[in-house]
Amino acid sequence: MKQLSDNEMKNMIQFGAKKVDFSEYGGVSDNGGSFNSFAGLSLDKNEKGSLKSVGFNFSGNPEPGKFLMYGADIYHSAPCIPGVEILPLREALLFYPEIKEKYYFRAVDKDQDEFTRLASEKERNGYFIRVRKDIKVEVPLHTAMFMRHEMGTMCLHNIVVLEDGASLHLVTGCASECHLTGGLHVAVTENFIGRGARLTSTMIHDWGPQFVVRPRTATIVGDEGVYVSNYYSVKPAGDIQMNPFTRLEGKNSSAKYMTVIASFENTYSNIGGTVLMSGENSSAELISRAVNYGGTVVQTGLLIGAAKDARAHVDCSGLMLTDSGIIEAVPGLRAMHPDAKMSHEAAIGRINKGEVNYLQSKGLEEMQAVALIIRGFLDIGIDSEGLDTELEKTISRMAELSGHDPS
Amino acid sequence: MAAGDKEILKGVNLTIPDNEVHSLFGPNGSGKSVLISAIMGYPEYEVTSGEILFKGKNINKLSIDERVRLGLGISEQRPPTIKGVKLRRLIEILAPEKMREKTLEKELQQKFDMEKFLDRDINDGLSGGEIKKSELFLLLMKKPDFLILDEPDSGVDPEHLKNIGEMINEILQNKDSGKNGLVVTHSAAILDYIHTDKAHVMLDGKIHCSGNPVVMMEQIRKNGYKYCITCQNRNGRDCI
Ligand SMILES: Nc1ncnc2c1ncn2[C@@H]1O[C@H](COP(=O)(O)OP(=O)(O)OP(=O)(O)O)[C@@H](O)[C@H]1O
Ligand SMILES: [Mg+2]
Repeated sequence: MKQLSDNEMKNMIQFGAKKVDFSEYGGVSDNGGSFNSFAGLSLDKNEKGSLKSVGFNFSGNPEPGKFLMYGADIYHSAPCIPGVEILPLREALLFYPEIKEKYYFRAVDKDQDEFTRLASEKERNGYFIRVRKDIKVEVPLHTAMFMRHEMGTMCLHNIVVLEDGASLHLVTGCASECHLTGGLHVAVTENFIGRGARLTSTMIHDWGPQFVVRPRTATIVGDEGVYVSNYYSVKPAGDIQMNPFTRLEGKNSSAKYMTVIASFENTYSNIGGTVLMSGENSSAELISRAVNYGGTVVQTGLLIGAAKDARAHVDCSGLMLTDSGIIEAVPGLRAMHPDAKMSHEAAIGRINKGEVNYLQSKGLEEMQAVALIIRGFLDIGIDSEGLDTELEKTISRMAELSGHDPS
Repeated sequence: MAAGDKEILKGVNLTIPDNEVHSLFGPNGSGKSVLISAIMGYPEYEVTSGEILFKGKNINKLSIDERVRLGLGISEQRPPTIKGVKLRRLIEILAPEKMREKTLEKELQQKFDMEKFLDRDINDGLSGGEIKKSELFLLLMKKPDFLILDEPDSGVDPEHLKNIGEMINEILQNKDSGKNGLVVTHSAAILDYIHTDKAHVMLDGKIHCSGNPVVMMEQIRKNGYKYCITCQNRNGRDCI
């Protein structure tokens, strides 16, 4: 019989994200400066390294522009594609009164929980991105959020608008200065995807061991619109809970969530996703992969079929790579229409020894074999085309952790 | 040799001298694959007594990959599927220098018509014959000093058999060592393409008898393994 420690028993009963005492964290720093050269920010080598590992590149001036929140300071380079805008939300709100009316807290409910409320009260900035009608942006647009104060608070609000027929691949990296142990990060993100538009949003997280992270994302998709959400967690925060909500309101609209996380001792990751399919013939797919080196992972997904011919599939799989740690898979389906077709699968287990031996018999060392299998397990066909090789390296790093001391 | 509490091999005496390729026959379930797994060092099989010697060295305690580094190489009868791992990726790892000599690799791929499998997951959905090809192709990357083939010909059509035979001969074409190997087969079809010096018949976990591969296979074909069972030339002595 496995002996459970007191802590584990307690966990069993209070399984969930930790209660956060906001007073433990520093206040939100005041509005910082806005720069269009990196020289204005005092980024050191380590900080650049952390940002690179979440996909943010410092060289070149890519066509779609770039956006970085460095503490309270903002760097952004203007896009040189007509019809593409990226600017700090504060500025955008001043320029465009329609934002308040059409987008600002229109997808996310300000009062849905204490974190969202905190963000709505304390938000200082974030990005506003808009791609005008029928503009297709071929190159990924990179943004990053960087926390640099020990036990600091970062409250953000981002808004992304894709008008009808537009397309964009947005890559957002979130990281903390590598010596920081803790902080509180709350980010409200609202995506609006117009008729026939396509948004791919790739988020990469790399946090310190005691960070509390609460992304609050909601997306509204119109007719024939497509939303692809990729989430990679390289180094998990101490405590992260998110459940991005997508409303497929349009006919034939679709959403695909792909989540890849590595989890370590003393971390809690509750990564979910909820998709409401209210548009006729809309479809949703949620694929989640977790490799656990001793932490607690909850993979949840809830797909709600509320329209004729809605189709949905959830697939949550986890690999337990150490003897301790928890993976809980909660693939959920809710049908609210008789013509909704929905299915799910979930599998949790340890790595298949037969596969490891097989690769060894081809000449790979055991650790090499394990890394290759994990790499394969994590490869769920996230389209990394056009993405930096950094991202590729990031995934490899996640797979190779097994051979190293994860701390 | 045991798997858990179950004794599978009951004292196997088999010597394959330098520069020889032997074949191993035997009915289903007689222990051929288990013998091979033991030689390779698969941990689910425990060697309860005896020694496995390779290049004069006792390899009983070596891990699988250490044995491979020492020069063993295997094509499995039923290799596992590895989801998400492309064959190309494994080839890149196994043949790093050769990858730099792009031409050689390309040539091999074209010669053996392997391109279409490179971007598929390892063994995923491959037909019986295709699996054999994929296994052999991986061996081409690391031409081993001692080649072990577990039914390289089963499920292979006559046309592809020629192809498989060519691949095996190419693998055996190892620059430093002579041709060394052990081939498990039920039909002697593959023996039309590769030369083996001697054959052994395994019955119920033991090498029952040995002899000329062609002659023995003819007997087995005509009379079945029941011939071997009644044959008096047991205990590994030469047949006929
Ligand atoms: N892990 C195991 N646990 C228990 N029994 C096993 C195990 N592995 C193999 N066996 C048994 O050992 C016997 C020998 O199996 P083996 O696979 O070596 O047969 P084989 O001679 O290769 O047959 P075939 O010609 O059908 O491939 C069989 O009865 C098999 O069921
Ligand atoms: Mg066999």
